Amino acid sequence: MSTTTAGPVSRVSTPSGERYDGVIDLARVKAAHVPYYPTREAVTADGNTAAALATLQMWRAILYPGFPITPSTKWIETVAAKVGAQKGTAKRVKLMEAEHAVADYMVGAAAACRDLIVSTATSSVGLDHMTETTRSLGASGLGNVMIIDVYRATANFPLCIEGDPSDALAHRDDGFIQICARGKQQIYDTVIQAPVLGMHADVMTPTMPGYYGIKDSHRNAKFWVEADSAIHAFQDKWIKECALPGTINGDTAMGNCVTSRHFQGFKVAQKRRIERALELLPEIGADFEKTFGRPGLAYFDEVGFKGDEPVDVVVVSMGPDFGTFESIRGEWSARNNTSTAGLAMRLINPFPREAVRKRLANAKVVLVVNQAHHSGRGHLTLDIADALAGLDKQPRIVSAFAGMGGADVSESTWEVMLDEGRDAITKAPRQPYMVFHEGARL
Amino acid sequence: MSGYKETARQESCFRPGSTLCPGCMESVAFQNIGRVTDNGVKTIFTIGTSCAEVSTLAFPNVVAWGRGDDSPDDFAKSFSILHNVFESAPTLAEATRDVADQLTSIGALDRKIQVISASGDGGAFSIGLRTLLHTIHRRARVTIVVLVNEIFANTGFQYSPATMPFADTSTTPAEGTPGNLNPPLDYIHLAIAAGAGMVAQLSPAHGKMFVKAIERSLEVEGTAVIFIPAPCISGWKFEDGQTVELALLGARSGVFPAFTWERGKGGTVKDCPQDASERPNITEFLGEQRRFGHLVGKDKVTGEVKVKPGQEENMEKLTAWVQSNVDRMYSLAAMK
Repeated sequence: MSTTTAGPVSRVSTPSGERYDGVIDLARVKAAHVPYYPTREAVTADGNTAAALATLQMWRAILYPGFPITPSTKWIETVAAKVGAQKGTAKRVKLMEAEHAVADYMVGAAAACRDLIVSTATSSVGLDHMTETTRSLGASGLGNVMIIDVYRATANFPLCIEGDPSDALAHRDDGFIQICARGKQQIYDTVIQAPVLGMHADVMTPTMPGYYGIKDSHRNAKFWVEADSAIHAFQDKWIKECALPGTINGDTAMGNCVTSRHFQGFKVAQKRRIERALELLPEIGADFEKTFGRPGLAYFDEVGFKGDEPVDVVVVSMGPDFGTFESIRGEWSARNNTSTAGLAMRLINPFPREAVRKRLANAKVVLVVNQAHHSGRGHLTLDIADALAGLDKQPRIVSAFAGMGGADVSESTWEVMLDEGRDAITKAPRQPYMVFHEGARL
Repeated sequence: MSGYKETARQESCFRPGSTLCPGCMESVAFQNIGRVTDNGVKTIFTIGTSCAEVSTLAFPNVVAWGRGDDSPDDFAKSFSILHNVFESAPTLAEATRDVADQLTSIGALDRKIQVISASGDGGAFSIGLRTLLHTIHRRARVTIVVLVNEIFANTGFQYSPATMPFADTSTTPAEGTPGNLNPPLDYIHLAIAAGAGMVAQLSPAHGKMFVKAIERSLEVEGTAVIFIPAPCISGWKFEDGQTVELALLGARSGVFPAFTWERGKGGTVKDCPQDASERPNITEFLGEQRRFGHLVGKDKVTGEVKVKPGQEENMEKLTAWVQSNVDRMYSLAAMK
């Protein structure tokens, strides 16, 4: 324990108890940050490294709890190696005994000082193991928690380490803001922006940026790493000192057992906060683009739209396999005399229903490609159907499952799915959903 | 370290208004811990779901925590409490400790913080054994208190791994069976083996010892673990007003002997001789609780507790378990 002379403290009353200002000197936390990248640099690395570098460069992140699970393990390995190698660092890695412990640790650490960013990475059953506490975190107001989810199927029977997004999609009701990234640059950029959104005073909701296991976590590509100082300037512009007390600088109680009436109000407030994230996300993304010259957070990436002109077939999907669609889109469209466009979803919770509805309103057919196991027509399909409900002229929805179990969605698979989309311009899809694999409709 | 009388005059962070049962040992323990922690250092409690949580942390009803009627001007008297799921309290405490230490090492926090984790035995020994042992194993500089009432009281008095043999619980009912047949988990030994810096088994019934142990737990190297035997009026089924008496009887008869131990120094068993003839008969402890009503009965005229016909063999087994429990405590005390 420190025995140095304590500085002055002032009391501020808040709806969550008393806050004692002056107890924690954030300027000293920032000053203690030893930069990893003094200048902008091009780096060739995998997705886990990209995510790790982004979290390391934040001055607000000083504690990194973790537990290994494929395919996210390299995140904690990279953080541990970089922290261990950096002389004079203020950062520390905390190796826990299980993912549940990691999640509990994040509650304690994030509540202790609500101005610090507490991050980890996990996957699949690791995220499942956290569930009891992620659902608490989702409602907690601790927007300074960030769990990076490296997508991998949740079922372990049979076990497979390949990545499909069934873990992320199974956890959409945990209460986190979930943002999908594809490609190393987008992974890096998303991790920098996610806490900016989560820690906004109107949002105060933990975030879960994610990317596909193996396909993006383990494959290398070149991306730009910004100077630590530039990241700090961007985050500092958005992240203000938390108005509510933490356990260290507060006289407060958190995680109370509440009456039914209060709980009902609490849940309404939770819903309102995550709705506010929908409004703020494009603003943060636009500011990121203005600052760094690359696209920032968005509801979705779009390709092929020409203003509001009608499109024959619009593909909606997520993840790196969307790139394969992008690569064949022009040739397939020309060969089939069918116009195409596409949305690669980025914000998967809360689902940007209004923006999707507006973007798809002039489509004849929407081909939704789901990559995770779902008991019905597909997670994305149901969201898209919800978004399109009530339109005067509703696009026909073709629901596809492809790439399940982490399979690559090949060019030939995309082509047979697009063929089904083309056919649906003139006639109803042959089934409520269809399963595609290795170039064939099963 | 202040004297017992001085401690009694300190301001507790546990306040009136809890909905714990009248006479609950948990409230007595919190009152005492609350006073000991009024020592010029900011106090943070972490708590897992338990009777102690749902009955003290109700909002917007009474939150029975905090020092003073209003938030204090003096930061050192300020108090925070954080609740999360059953098993989480030690991990929450460890994280809080780490953040405080990390901020201190950076020079961003120049005030002392003391962190106390509170769990029930269900939260600590069943669903939370992992988190309990690993927080100890990592030598987190926190005090962990486990309120041991030998049942899952919060969910209606079910068996827990701390339930003593032959006890009637709602999931080991003594109807046609002798009640619980499993010996309790050796949690004291586990805490020592996991690397605790200090381990104690004490209730506030041993007032001075209890206060001294809590004070020491805040100073000792590594993790301090205090197991607090907590007679439960509803689960143990005894009469109002007998809490302290039962806590003393349980300790003195050998069910949960008063025990303190420090790494490198060894420990002591107090108020519980190893020789059974020098201890109160176990039947005195059993006879006050209806959870053992299938084993013993109290004569309405003489007040004498007698083994019920047909239960002699079970009583012998229970007596043997008590002796082995006392012997074990003495063995642990001899460890350094």
